[in-house]
Amino acid sequence: MNKSLEINTDARRKASLDKRNAAEKRFRWYGRVAIGFGIACLVFLFVDIISKGIGAFNQTYIAMQVTFDEQELGLTPQSSEAEIRAASFESFLKASLREAYPDVTERRAKRQLYSIVSSDTSFMLRDMVLATPSLMGTTQTVNMIADDDVDMYYKYSFGRDLSEGEEIGRLSKLQKEIVAELYDLERIGTRFNSTFFTNSDSRDPESAGIYGAALGSFFMLVVTLVLSFPIAIAAAIYLEEFAPKNKITDFIEVNINNLAAVPSVIFGLLGLAVFINFFGMPRSVPLVGGLVLTLMTLPTIIISSRAAIKSVPPSIREAALGMGASKVQTVIHHVLPLAMPGMLTGTIIGMARALGETAPLLMIGMVAFIVEPPVGIMDSATALPVQIFLWLDSPERAFVEKTSAAIMVLLAFLIFMNSFAVWLRKRLERRW
Amino acid sequence: MNEELNIGPHISRQFDAELDEIRSRVLKMGSLVETQLIKTLDALREDDGSGIKGVSKLDRKVNKLEVQIDEECTQILAMRQPAAGDLRMIIATSKSVRDLERAGDEAERVANMVKQALTNEMQRKLYKGLLGLGELVAQLLKSTLDAYARMDIPGALQNMRLDQDIDEEYSRLVIRQVELMKKNPDNVADSLDVLWAARSMERIGDHCINICENIIYLVSGDDVRHAKFKDIEEQYAGGGY
Amino acid sequence: MNKEIESSVSVDKSEQSVSAEFVADSYTTVGEPLLDDPKISIRNGNVFYAEKQAIFDVNLDIGKQQVISMIGPSGCGKSTFIRCLNRMNDTIDICRVEGEFRMDGEDIHDSKLDVVELRARVGMVFQKPNPFPKSIYENVAYGARIHGLTDNRVQLDELVEQSLIRCGLWNEVKDRLDEPGTGLSGGQQQRLCIARAIAVDPQVILMDEPCSALDPIATATIEELINELSESFTICIVTHSMQQAARVSTRTAYFHLGKLIEVNDTAKVFTNPEHQLTEEYITGRIG
Repeated sequence: MNKSLEINTDARRKASLDKRNAAEKRFRWYGRVAIGFGIACLVFLFVDIISKGIGAFNQTYIAMQVTFDEQELGLTPQSSEAEIRAASFESFLKASLREAYPDVTERRAKRQLYSIVSSDTSFMLRDMVLATPSLMGTTQTVNMIADDDVDMYYKYSFGRDLSEGEEIGRLSKLQKEIVAELYDLERIGTRFNSTFFTNSDSRDPESAGIYGAALGSFFMLVVTLVLSFPIAIAAAIYLEEFAPKNKITDFIEVNINNLAAVPSVIFGLLGLAVFINFFGMPRSVPLVGGLVLTLMTLPTIIISSRAAIKSVPPSIREAALGMGASKVQTVIHHVLPLAMPGMLTGTIIGMARALGETAPLLMIGMVAFIVEPPVGIMDSATALPVQIFLWLDSPERAFVEKTSAAIMVLLAFLIFMNSFAVWLRKRLERRW
Repeated sequence: MNEELNIGPHISRQFDAELDEIRSRVLKMGSLVETQLIKTLDALREDDGSGIKGVSKLDRKVNKLEVQIDEECTQILAMRQPAAGDLRMIIATSKSVRDLERAGDEAERVANMVKQALTNEMQRKLYKGLLGLGELVAQLLKSTLDAYARMDIPGALQNMRLDQDIDEEYSRLVIRQVELMKKNPDNVADSLDVLWAARSMERIGDHCINICENIIYLVSGDDVRHAKFKDIEEQYAGGGY
Repeated sequence: MNKEIESSVSVDKSEQSVSAEFVADSYTTVGEPLLDDPKISIRNGNVFYAEKQAIFDVNLDIGKQQVISMIGPSGCGKSTFIRCLNRMNDTIDICRVEGEFRMDGEDIHDSKLDVVELRARVGMVFQKPNPFPKSIYENVAYGARIHGLTDNRVQLDELVEQSLIRCGLWNEVKDRLDEPGTGLSGGQQQRLCIARAIAVDPQVILMDEPCSALDPIATATIEELINELSESFTICIVTHSMQQAARVSTRTAYFHLGKLIEVNDTAKVFTNPEHQLTEEYITGRIG
């Protein structure tokens, strides 16, 4: 009780304490709700993507008896490679299919019959013969990749009681009957879709893969890393440790912070104007993509590296300088090792951002349809996020599945890179 | 000047209070010794031994105060770790208290002798001769306490001069008593008693001078013990301390 | 008449107290700031932080193999002052040092003098123990490595051992030389820092409040170490603990608002300081 003020301080304190406790509890709940919302969104995203994309990791195959008839192919066992390549495996495949289903005679029906297997099947047969010429004249059971429509039908509609509108796949009655028959014969089934990881882009969903795009992304990231890491760290060290603090360095600092917030598409425009138009570099190559992403990630890495350098206690610098170490020795022997975990974390997070970037790549023409996987940084290539963007645009139902699958792969890479960053920080951050 | 010791309070007010407490206790102790002496002199002057009775009691109080003050000084040394002026204040006080207690003992001795003497006409007459010396010593004691209270070097120097008067008075007294003894060999015992009493009073004066030396040390930091008075006076003539 | 005299006296007094509190612009250090044959001598030392002056016209000699302590209230410039002696103030952009700072007659602030070499001769121990986040061995060996003091590993081992022995740390750490220096206790860390400093064989050691982060036992160990080291090194120690200054140093310098007020033998300063400001500070009246 405060006598001079005639206030019952105990009662008031208690009343205000209740209020404060209530406020604290309320605030805790705000936080929980916010986090709950975030987690719900994340779960929704993952469930949606995984449920859509998981199917793409399985591919429907059809087992067919094929007789590699020499006459039909117009080849002999002594045929050269060039002759095998020139042979018409497509008509051979069609003949084989006709043989398997002799009842199908009508022209339209025949076309439907041919299209139950992937249009790449003839190339697959040719490759088989090329690999083992002794197949010639024998009869083999070949697992053929089913056409995307068959694939869709088999995976999502076949054997299920669906109404007409819900049915997936644009199969004719005949094709459905064939699928049913194959199923009864146990000659249709799904297995792991390795094609998705070994093929590049294709017009046919069943043979489209992410290999080329992933390789493109890889080359681009290599270019970005090799350029941005040393440049950013040199810049950060200079700005933190050596540069005098004056108007010019202030101006540079403000600009670096602003650059980090510039929309990435602007960097794409810059790349287009400078690297392609001015320096005349080729379009669609990982080198230019890497350069653009370097520009984009530099500010991020510089900022995080500067923060890491700043967080090195000044007492360490003083200790080194007091021992008579020169400025450079101080930085290299003491500051850098302590700041390295922070710098690496910043770099990896910048890399992860670069990996997920689409907009600037569109500006420099990395959006082209490229079937051949790149073998170097000067080959035309595309990148994972751009591949996703491309597939998203395709009309075929099977590409929806592929898109989600590619997103899953991209997310997996990002999660891996971020976890690696965390692990690296934990590993290097030796608390002495 | 002696402002050096009036340089504002400590940050710790508790410390100031403790130092003040010690100082006032010392003054109280000094005034008790002074009372002992004055009571004795009053009794001698008025031939009335009734006042003397309280003197022994006063001396016990003085002894108790000595112990108390010393204890407080020890505590301050241990807990405050005083430095410079504060340190000198504690050291000087601790020493001065010892001198005061000795002075108290001497005063008690004189009081007892006077009490004894008042019962005897012959002795009473002889003891009256002590009054002049006694008053000088009482005056010295009083001004010593004043100088301590004010931390006053000129006062202390004044006291040293006064002590020279006391010494002179004491030698005169000794000569007189020696002459008396020669004239009246029967009274040698009584005269010797008087000499003893005079000697005690002179000792009180010496203790006062010790205290004054402590005051000078306390204020200026200079140890003036065993120095010639002339040199001391010269040193402080211009106030250059 | 009497009144007049009194008032004039009181005016006098107030003027005196003002001049005592705000040390006049031109001032002289009382006591004995100057010595014959000093290790370090400072004449008219002035230090500025941008426009603000931190040290005013300091004249001081520091004797050979002497422990001199700098005391004074916070912000009085004592740390700034000793940082002039190994040019640690160079690292602060806005700091400007004027005047003559000489060590063995050589100008410390001469632009021709390499600061790296100066710091090898004038070691420094800081307020907070700041061992490098490296092993105990590497901490002590670091100076020798950068200054190229030893030819081979055997010599280096020997140097590390000698330095640790001199700091009384050898027996405590000899079995774990490869463990991090930051894993030691505060007092051990500080002794490690001293070992690191003496490993490059300096002539002068500057200590900036070396015990302010330590407990009394560790402090006592360091103080004992300072006593032992004073046989071979000139030591300047800045301290906030007056008792510490009294215990470890032979001379004491009192700084007040950037001015060197008094320099005297430590015993003199702590029993009978000459300047009123010194007295007020060490008796706990200002701080």
